[in-house]
Amino acid sequence: MTGRVIRFPRLPLTSEAGREAAEKVLATPFERRYEAAEALELEDPETLLSLCLLLRPRLESTPSLVRDEAEFLYRFIETPRRAIGLFDEREYFLGETALLAGTACRQLSRREEAHVWFDRAEAGFRHTINSAADLSRLGYQRLAERLEERQFDVVLEMLPALLESFQQLEMHDEALKCRFLEGLALLESDELTEAAQVFDEIVVEAERLGNSRLLGSAFANLTTIYGMMGNAEAALAASARAIPVLRRLDDRVALAKTQWGLATLLRETGRVAASIDACRTAQAEFEAIGMRADVAALNLVIADLLLETGKEREAQREIALALPVISELKMAPEGMAALQLLRESARRQEINRQALRDLHGYFEELHS
Amino acid sequence: MGSEKQPSRPADEVQCVFERALEVIHSALVSYYRLSEDEARGAEEDLLMWFQRLGRRGGSGHMAAKMLRLSLLSAACQYGRSFQLWKLGGGQSPDASLNEALAREPEEVAVDLDRRFQERSS
Repeated sequence: MTGRVIRFPRLPLTSEAGREAAEKVLATPFERRYEAAEALELEDPETLLSLCLLLRPRLESTPSLVRDEAEFLYRFIETPRRAIGLFDEREYFLGETALLAGTACRQLSRREEAHVWFDRAEAGFRHTINSAADLSRLGYQRLAERLEERQFDVVLEMLPALLESFQQLEMHDEALKCRFLEGLALLESDELTEAAQVFDEIVVEAERLGNSRLLGSAFANLTTIYGMMGNAEAALAASARAIPVLRRLDDRVALAKTQWGLATLLRETGRVAASIDACRTAQAEFEAIGMRADVAALNLVIADLLLETGKEREAQREIALALPVISELKMAPEGMAALQLLRESARRQEINRQALRDLHGYFEELHS
Repeated sequence: MGSEKQPSRPADEVQCVFERALEVIHSALVSYYRLSEDEARGAEEDLLMWFQRLGRRGGSGHMAAKMLRLSLLSAACQYGRSFQLWKLGGGQSPDASLNEALAREPEEVAVDLDRRFQERSS
């Protein structure tokens, strides 16, 4: 039966008190939260709502923290079964925390975990009053995951239906996010001019909606695209628009990707040493965020650049750092042949350049 | 693109959607689901509290007012129906029209209510 009547055993928190309670929860170590749950007001829907609101923007700066926090909240709400708030709120918070955990896992290239979290999110959202909106947001994350698995045909097939859902719900920001997937699918299919056109349109629409996060990310992608095209002027102009916005929002993921875009530009224009430096800067940022897949992918790019300058031994070191991470995270289902060739050539200390290029080309597209 | 921008819907806008729908909600709870005036007032207090949080949920912050209103009406109907089913303890009511109301899906009733709301507003 839906729409249960749940009475609060005590007065519920105000939204201001909920925000304060959420800050206290985040400042409390996980192992102490269960015993202190009542004092922390952890079962109050205002606390949980504030926690979700605080965690969501941190996906771009500290995805590992968001994953851990979201998992804690999900487990706390789920077992033992707790009566949270009114009507559909328990199901909503289960869905929302699972969606946060899944999105963070996707950022961290923990794909199998992300799949499971998205299934959990669906189980929660299926019972919310506003399920069309909640399931559509989940649908976006699942399509983004498909994109990362290079299933472009699936993405392009499913995208119009998702876009239509958001438009019917008048969720314009989410509808615009769908266009990112379209632009990225074009980029990864090497249709760079078309991809640039899509992101130019996104810039116009993000400005109209006043959505700085989407605006900054669109410019970050334009930096990458123009970098790949070797168009220095346009790439630098796009990065100049991206960086201040992304810094203000502390969007470290997009900042690191912008830096990677500049590294690509430097490589395409023959400035190998500067490109390596730019790669290292991006790599340090990804390392700090915990995005190990991107760190490994950049190891391969740097290895290729080092080979360009005849530094074969250093290149081998980079590859040796990358290979275990690539295997552990199962990053290259479509690049397995190249991975195998590279692994064997590294063992023989004679790097197979084509395999290296195939593999890092795959990752560069994948993480742009 | 991991996340979305923070919901920016102001609390007074949510309050305004609620207040405009309140007459329709009250009428549905009292006339359709046969709640007493006191029971309906209690329901409306709970609904307001829930609705204020709904407006701050992920995604809902950007939803059109119309969609928010439909969610509110749906919650009101679920409340009225569940409350009466609980009071009846699984049995039938001597009131045939109440039994008829309880047999309908709350979402379906909410769509009818929304249509009525729009007709009144236009």
